[in-house]
Amino acid sequence: MDILLCLKQVPDDSVEIYLKPGTEEVDLDNVTNVVNAFDTYALEMATRFKEAVGGEITAVSVGPEEARNAIKNSLAVGADKGYLISDPAFENADTLGRSEIIAAAIKQLEDERGKPFDVIFCGREATDRATGQFGPQLAETLGTGIICDLVDIEQTDEGIRGKQETEEGYHLVESVTPCVVTVNKPPYDPRYPTIKSKMAARKMKIPVLSAAELEGAEAGEPNVEIIKVYEPAKREAGIKIQEETVEDSAVKAVEMMAEAKVL
Amino acid sequence: MNWDNREDVLVFVEQKEGGAVKVGLEALGPAQVLAGLTGGKVIGLVMGEDNAAAVDKVSVLCDEVISVEDENFKDGNNDALTYGLEKIVEKVNPAAILAGNTPLGRELTARLGKRLGLGSAQDVIDLKTEGDQILWTVPVYGGTVLNDIELKTLPLMATVRSGAFSKPEEKQKAEIVTETVEVPEEEIRSKVVDSVKEISEAVNLEEAKVIVTGGRGMGSKENYHLVEELADLLGGVVGATRPAIEDEWVSRDHQVGQSGKIVSPALYIACGVSGATQHVTGMTNSGYIVAINKDEDAPIFDVADVGIVGDVMKVIPVMIEEIKKRKEE
Repeated sequence: MDILLCLKQVPDDSVEIYLKPGTEEVDLDNVTNVVNAFDTYALEMATRFKEAVGGEITAVSVGPEEARNAIKNSLAVGADKGYLISDPAFENADTLGRSEIIAAAIKQLEDERGKPFDVIFCGREATDRATGQFGPQLAETLGTGIICDLVDIEQTDEGIRGKQETEEGYHLVESVTPCVVTVNKPPYDPRYPTIKSKMAARKMKIPVLSAAELEGAEAGEPNVEIIKVYEPAKREAGIKIQEETVEDSAVKAVEMMAEAKVL
Repeated sequence: MNWDNREDVLVFVEQKEGGAVKVGLEALGPAQVLAGLTGGKVIGLVMGEDNAAAVDKVSVLCDEVISVEDENFKDGNNDALTYGLEKIVEKVNPAAILAGNTPLGRELTARLGKRLGLGSAQDVIDLKTEGDQILWTVPVYGGTVLNDIELKTLPLMATVRSGAFSKPEEKQKAEIVTETVEVPEEEIRSKVVDSVKEISEAVNLEEAKVIVTGGRGMGSKENYHLVEELADLLGGVVGATRPAIEDEWVSRDHQVGQSGKIVSPALYIACGVSGATQHVTGMTNSGYIVAINKDEDAPIFDVADVGIVGDVMKVIPVMIEEIKKRKEE
């Protein structure tokens, strides 16, 4: 299976992000960029899939020079090749724009290789804006199938079969290839690189694909404009009960709940 | 605002097991607001194998129902559903398209957005009009920051968060229009070959009036039974935080928070929950919040109407006894 993997860098989602006081500017000063968590799950699933059925993984990311790190990390754990898709013209691309840009890059790489990618992996959403639109829109742009929210994948005679997480359990979904898949949190964690694999990744070349090399890659006019940026109103804290004994506190709390008519 | 001769507001109401999904009905609320601006109708769209029950629910909440029935549109056949939605949009020429922010709602709007070149607001929690501007409030960075966004394309398109809007008042049954959409074979690339239910009882956090949630502070799976007992006593549903699920005290469909369910019950009791933003984002719209935690500085107390500083293992049993006593009176 020839696999393509889409990676995005986002502000570290383990840090709570707020605005700079009195401004509409998001305070990212002390927040490092990391590979989107769902993309790391996609990398791990893609790597396991490659180990099971053979093939290779090509990782791509749209972003500034710094996004090279995301690709380097993927090369250290499972990806075989990486390309950075970078151009000042791509900076303000929205989801639709990004899917056009990555689709153009995929077509370009497929032309060079002389064959299509079979499965294109991405995370189910990016943790910053969490719209979940990129994967489906990439599939639409490429004209391939799409299966969202996979937690497992296997090869079939005609393509792939995936386990799509649902509220009650899962759907088994079959698709012909090429197919885009978006990955949810599988029942395992992404592996860590070793020192050796890190060293090897550091030596690998990551070519840059810019607008000039990509036919049809245009960020386009954004379809969405951000008018206002603010923090949600804080819910006001009520009463904290700390009586002499825990029993007294519990009794008082139930009294208050009864008074508020919520029982 | 120039609506480009578009009037009606189309709401895709998703079905699950032969019934309308709650967030789909809630999307009819903001649809009514938009229809007030355009002067058009609110049209509920139901697509599926057997639409009768959902159509019945939807028909008293909007001005017209479009029902598209075919085995192609069964749950999970998203290629067909995308195609069906696209065809109905062509026919209706709506001013706006709304859906619930479920996995299906997200996928359909994303795909339609690409096909028609539309921007879309995802996971909307509020809809505002300022002069000629229509603003959609969406959470970013897990909900610590909000954006009011404006859509630059028509039809407007959005998915709404569960519990963020109320469904409209019931009114007289609307006209039901039956449409057929033939899905060309080449449109279907992926197919659901099996649906497996791993979770036997249906956990309906979104519609629960009472939710009792246990967090890491519950300490063990055995202790978690207290959460269940309290929930049962109050006729409520058991919720959970991510750590409780990771430790396999309860199944993942109980999760409340950014990566689980966004809930808004009348009463929410958080037991041994510290109050990480991830979790609080999912429950901060509850009517009345009670928190029990032995750490008096736990952030959960910042959003609680009543906070009890104490050990959950001691507090919950007393609460259960007290509530039982009151019920008997």
